[in-house]
Amino acid sequence: MNKLTTLPLLALASLSLVSLPLVLLSVASQAAAQSTTAQTTTVDFWHTFGDAKRSGWIQARADEYNKAHPNVKVVPSFKGDSNTTFQSTILGARQGQPPALVQVDGTSTQLALDSGVFQPVGSIKPVDFSDYLKPVIQYYTVGGKVNSIPFNASSPVLYFNKDLMTKAGLNPQNPPSTFAAILNVCAKLSAAKIDVKCVALTPFSWLFEQWLSEQNVALLNNGNGRASRATATNIDSAAGRKVFQFYKDLNDKGYLTNTGKLADTVGTNAIFTAQKALMTINSTAGLGNILDGAKQSGFTLGVGVLPIADGSTRNGVQIGGASLWVTKGVSKGVSEAALDFALFMTNTKNMADWHKVTGYYPVRQSSVNLLRNQGWFASSPLQVVAFNQLLSTSPNVANAGSLSGATIETRTIIEQGLQKVLSGQSVVSVAAATQDQANAAITDYNKNFK
Amino acid sequence: MYLSLVQPSRTTARRASQPEKPAAPQTHAVFRGRALPWLLLFPSLLVLAIFSYYPAMRTLRLSVFRSNLIIGNEQFVGPANFAELLSSPVYQQVALQTLVFVTLVVTLGLLCALGLAWLASKPIAGAKFYRLMLIYPYALSPAIAGTLWLFLFNPEVGPVNAVLGHLFGLQPRWLDNPLLAFGLVVLAAVWKGLGYNIVFYLAAIQNVPAEITEAAEIDGATPWQGFWWVVFPLLSPMTFFLLFTNIVSALFDSFGLVDILTRGGPVYGRAGITTFLMYQLYQDGFRNFKTGAAAAQAALLLLLVVAIVLMQFRYGNRKVHYGA
Repeated sequence: MNKLTTLPLLALASLSLVSLPLVLLSVASQAAAQSTTAQTTTVDFWHTFGDAKRSGWIQARADEYNKAHPNVKVVPSFKGDSNTTFQSTILGARQGQPPALVQVDGTSTQLALDSGVFQPVGSIKPVDFSDYLKPVIQYYTVGGKVNSIPFNASSPVLYFNKDLMTKAGLNPQNPPSTFAAILNVCAKLSAAKIDVKCVALTPFSWLFEQWLSEQNVALLNNGNGRASRATATNIDSAAGRKVFQFYKDLNDKGYLTNTGKLADTVGTNAIFTAQKALMTINSTAGLGNILDGAKQSGFTLGVGVLPIADGSTRNGVQIGGASLWVTKGVSKGVSEAALDFALFMTNTKNMADWHKVTGYYPVRQSSVNLLRNQGWFASSPLQVVAFNQLLSTSPNVANAGSLSGATIETRTIIEQGLQKVLSGQSVVSVAAATQDQANAAITDYNKNFK
Repeated sequence: MYLSLVQPSRTTARRASQPEKPAAPQTHAVFRGRALPWLLLFPSLLVLAIFSYYPAMRTLRLSVFRSNLIIGNEQFVGPANFAELLSSPVYQQVALQTLVFVTLVVTLGLLCALGLAWLASKPIAGAKFYRLMLIYPYALSPAIAGTLWLFLFNPEVGPVNAVLGHLFGLQPRWLDNPLLAFGLVVLAAVWKGLGYNIVFYLAAIQNVPAEITEAAEIDGATPWQGFWWVVFPLLSPMTFFLLFTNIVSALFDSFGLVDILTRGGPVYGRAGITTFLMYQLYQDGFRNFKTGAAAAQAALLLLLVVAIVLMQFRYGNRKVHYGA
């Protein structure tokens, strides 16, 4: 066949290859347009739980809700980790297609406010927040306004291996509750010549912040960034240096182990459940997985309160976790349905169930009462420690948690500081340098508003 | 037989004036007008315009603004982003680390691949199986490769330290000793690239005419002399091609491996020692949301790529022996 006659054919073929996806796209968008004209209100709910346990629980609640509300369709979907989910939401909103309901990590609270993409839940309809646990609700209250519905909440505790404790001649009923007590336990463990490390502890800024909170020191100035935009940190304070020193003491004496990666709690959990370490400090949210790991390796797990720096009275933990935000760019009907579903998912019964499934706190006082009446705490004594630690926290500026748009960056800076101490640098110089770097990051963020 | 344009536009004519291998007179099919070639190019150009040129233009524009992905603000700052980057000790350290990393990965990667391909090209029993096994790491995604290495080199529960501890009583801190962590990422990147390089080297070695190697053997060349003086020069076009693809992949594709294996750490000096230019860009743009600063970094990387491509054009035809 003549080359010149085949050319136009080739051109046609290549054109059709290009146009095919375009045609498909337009068909798909027409289909989407048709489905929205139907009488159901669709609520897209983006969350950050990829595991079967937690995403399955959310899907089950959505199914229940959809059954009870035939004109509403809640569609939960896992959108990646909290960072990815948050970014996708912002980009979706910029393109006029935001999801209605989004799970936003507490560290991104200031960013969420600054983005202008969300609306305070109170502006959709009045919500009664009196049933929520005080430390939880204060974490999500900014300028006297609650912006989102608290969902998954946790705080750090001490996990320890009861069998190894007994083997080392220590009392598993009396776990260490201060830094000095931990070092003491470690000394006894090493004297007992048991070939395990004492503490699996990763450089983790969330713990650094908790230990500042326990010493009643706010991480940020301007009321922890809650009275007005924070401009500086208190990393290089006596309280901060005590935390650096704790890491250094553990490391210098050979008591500490971790994977070497920053904030690698998955790694320290693995070390702990493989019985390579006597203790680890991690979130209550990990209780379910750690308990499974302990069962697999065949040891008895113990849980204690978060050990704190010496010479201070326990000021309480700050909440970690995420809350549910409703976006601005959706219709009134959709935002009302989104809020209604968020309240359904976090109602008394559901939160009690959520707690049993995952180890997260139920965020409502009524859920705690329900669990107590069901005898849950008697049958699961490990959970009680975490509960008492949270319920005994009386809210103040330090344990309200810090608020800044540069939190993700300053967390990495703090973790790098902890790693520097572990690599042998002095606490005094590291604390000062870390504070300078973190302050610079906050200053840089604030320049966005000039 | 292939198609070529008899009347290329003036600019392409100038660019194409680089000394190509003098084309033997061939019978070319000829386009009669200008419309048809443009029509044929249109689909590719459209795709490139939408997915490459337009985003690239937007990125260049963004590089002179202070901008935060989440806030969505744009404040014109002129060249401030660039000035800040180039004067930043952190960025300088990251650039230096990247240079060392790329040099090591490319050199080690090509040497290992060439050696293994040479061995695998030998007519030995099970050669096909060896070849398959050597190529297979390339089929893994960087994320899976990273996870594998992370598991192997976990200092407390990883198999590598279990073996080392058992044999020598050693428990190296693979992920927080700066030197070890850097070495580990280099090794992982070399290993990850081996399959790709071996495939190309194998093909090139098999294309070396047997008469030439036989002639060398008859002339009394040792296997090493035969390799170094006869085969290696004939492989130079492939080495050259791999050199540039490897530089580019070490610069840009090591990202997934680094993210999973070390997250850019451990910290050494002013930055994480395995934080390379691309990872720094990711950190600034997509973790710290500093879109303007990240765009400036992307612009600098673009310059780097332009320089690499120019080098490729310039030296591509001088030091390389094509054909026998």
